[in-house]
Amino acid sequence: MAGFVDLYTEADTFLHRMDPRVKIIAVLLLSLLAFILSSLSYLLILLAFIFLLLFLARASLSRTEFALKFVLRFMILIVVLWPIFDPTGSPVLASLGPIKITEPAIWRGVTSATRVGCLATVWYILMFTTSQRDLVRALVKMGLRFDFGLTLAISLRFLPTFGALIDSIKDAQRARGLELGKGGLVKRSRNYVAILVPTIVSALRTADALSLALQSRAYGARSDRTYLRDLKMRASDGVALGMLVAAFVLPALAKYVFNVEI
Amino acid sequence: MIPNAPSSSREKIVSAQRLKFTYEGGVEAIRDVNLDIGYGEYIAIVGGNGSGKTTLAKNLNGLLRPTSGSVVVGGRPTSELKVAALARIVGYAFQNPDHQLFCSSVEDEVRFGPTNLGYPDEEVRNKVEKAIEAMNLEHLRKLPPLSLRLGERRRVSIASVIAMDPQVLVLDEPTTGLDAEESAELMRRLKRLNDEGKTIILITHDMKLVAEHAKRVVVMARGRILLDSDPRGAFSDIEILRQSNLEPPAVTQLAHRLEAYDIPRDIISPEELVFHLMRARGGT
Amino acid sequence: MCMQALHLRDARFRYKGSTEWALDGVSLDVEKGEFVTILGPNGSGKSTICLISNGLVPHALPGDLEGTAEVFGLDVRNHPVAELATKVGIVFQEPESQLFCMSVEEEVAFGPENLAVPRDEIRERVEWALELVGMKGYNDRSPFSLSGGQKQRVAIAAALSMRPEMLVLDEPAYALDPIGRIELYTVLKDLKEKHGMTVLLAERDAEEAAAFSDRLVLMKGGMVIDSGPPRLMLRDPEDLRSIGVTPPQVAEVAHLLNARLMGSKFSFLNVDEAEKTIVGEILASKAGGGR
Repeated sequence: MAGFVDLYTEADTFLHRMDPRVKIIAVLLLSLLAFILSSLSYLLILLAFIFLLLFLARASLSRTEFALKFVLRFMILIVVLWPIFDPTGSPVLASLGPIKITEPAIWRGVTSATRVGCLATVWYILMFTTSQRDLVRALVKMGLRFDFGLTLAISLRFLPTFGALIDSIKDAQRARGLELGKGGLVKRSRNYVAILVPTIVSALRTADALSLALQSRAYGARSDRTYLRDLKMRASDGVALGMLVAAFVLPALAKYVFNVEI
Repeated sequence: MIPNAPSSSREKIVSAQRLKFTYEGGVEAIRDVNLDIGYGEYIAIVGGNGSGKTTLAKNLNGLLRPTSGSVVVGGRPTSELKVAALARIVGYAFQNPDHQLFCSSVEDEVRFGPTNLGYPDEEVRNKVEKAIEAMNLEHLRKLPPLSLRLGERRRVSIASVIAMDPQVLVLDEPTTGLDAEESAELMRRLKRLNDEGKTIILITHDMKLVAEHAKRVVVMARGRILLDSDPRGAFSDIEILRQSNLEPPAVTQLAHRLEAYDIPRDIISPEELVFHLMRARGGT
Repeated sequence: MCMQALHLRDARFRYKGSTEWALDGVSLDVEKGEFVTILGPNGSGKSTICLISNGLVPHALPGDLEGTAEVFGLDVRNHPVAELATKVGIVFQEPESQLFCMSVEEEVAFGPENLAVPRDEIRERVEWALELVGMKGYNDRSPFSLSGGQKQRVAIAAALSMRPEMLVLDEPAYALDPIGRIELYTVLKDLKEKHGMTVLLAERDAEEAAAFSDRLVLMKGGMVIDSGPPRLMLRDPEDLRSIGVTPPQVAEVAHLLNARLMGSKFSFLNVDEAEKTIVGEILASKAGGGR
């Protein structure tokens, strides 16, 4: 279950070293850009750029494939289904009753799929190059209240633990003859009580213990606090941020101010 | 039942043959295990963390299936049976009772297992009564299990497994968190069950517990069985215990250090040691 | 008057909603620099005493607290946990639920960060604490990847980095395997012998800590039954058995030898001592030899 949320892999690339705040802003700006651009050719350029980043982050092909498997399937689905639900435009390539497959619709489908690909890949790069610790740190530095950040960090930290806990509870109940997949809806819901109750009880117990531990370390003792590791923007981060903003502002200006069709 | 008969003369209830088990991430938890357990035995499977003892235990009731090799329970390979079916023969009490308890009364909790196995009401009632009596829960039967103390919760968890009336009882670290009195009480009740013919398998790293109760000790380390003998045999070989990240009881350590003075190595109680010290000294 | 680390006089405490008194008239002092181990079965009140020492009782775990309960001269009722936590560090029995950060370094730095200690000093303290518990270099490891013994040592480091004047441990070896136990008690022994730390330890099992404690306190049913140096407390193992604590095996050996050999007053706190004495005085003098 840890693998699901923690995609971070340690490596020494410029993306890994980049200040996490810049990376978060990058992802937000690039996502917005994907929506601003409406022509397929520009979206493909964006996608190519994002894949270049992926390459520079030294993402292994097999791991990326696995993570993006679902996205790929979703993209194909979009391409296939779009023309079915969007019968406008000409020329019409095929028709079956009310369903009209038109060429422009196919291109619109491909455009949307590319957009989804851009979004998914750029968020994947963020998760791949940034540890959970740095992500939370960045959010707090950008203004998220410290206790929200701590709550987020603790939740992330305990996800694999609770995953293992639920597996253990399932095993324990199966050893008492509980068969989870069997039975009608009512019986199956009752069966899940046998999993849910111990899970909730354990979670509450852990929460209580955590509360005592936090207090014992003087959490909340003062309104100010210091940080051992602090995020410092370096020159390279500033440059990257500048380039990013330009990469976003220029097309946005072009489209909304100068009405250039992109 | 003949409690002290060597295992080879008993009919086998559980048999692992050339068992190998590898977890999904690639960890080889069990490398090559051959183990026969006879009806009515009282056996302790010991080892430190990572020795494979818990993995082995879970292979015995089907929670895990062999990667290669086989586990035969009651004459049939586990690969052919569902966990629920194996639960009739091999009961497994987990180390943390809170992973099992969820009902509003001890009675309901104990009833859960046999009900799942589909026994008729009358039989379920009988089994529940016997289990409650075996674990001394009569005075607690109407109370919610989660409100009880750890020692009591552990007894409820074990009772809920006994109620399924399995021939074999696997107990994972049953005395963790219990003080001397609670621990002694629990072990007394387990002995009674063994006297009545149940096969008891203790999974533990507490060598003092093993010294006092088990009749056969299987020492595991890094996925293999290093030693399979009666307790005396196990305690004579302190090197093997150390290799398995186990701490021999203090008196056994002391006895080993006094080997040169004609003190036997397989001493497991203070009384024994003092007896031999007196003897070695030349009598009082 | 010399200020004690912990001063309880006729202390009584009842958790909210409970009818029983968890502490029923306890008088107990821990002097600075002492290593005190409280021995008692489940429900004896030893955990409650640990929780009083940093104010979790009564602030986080409410109830009725009567009598005198002072930590370094401060009445626990009148000082918040955050303040007492600067003087007293605590380690609980469950490794998993007292480590909540994503890396060892963050965990150990958390306490001083809360106290707004300057960054350089935090860095120093983190390294010092990790070295003390034998976990140097583990800074970037996640808690999930550590063994039970390692987790507990990180918990100790996380308490020590706050530079407390007293360290309290409530059954720290509870969930540990033999290796973990050895690692843990080695750290505690070092803390006592090399650093003169004031330590209060609560245990159900006397086997390890008895050997290097300055004083053992025996508790049962919320009351102190007896208290004194280990040799005195372990002279008759029945004293421990009567409160439901298993005596160390070597202490039993000493007691049995004393019963069999007239005039002997053996006292063994650990296997080394037992071996040396037995070889030197018992086995060396065979029947007919001088005594």
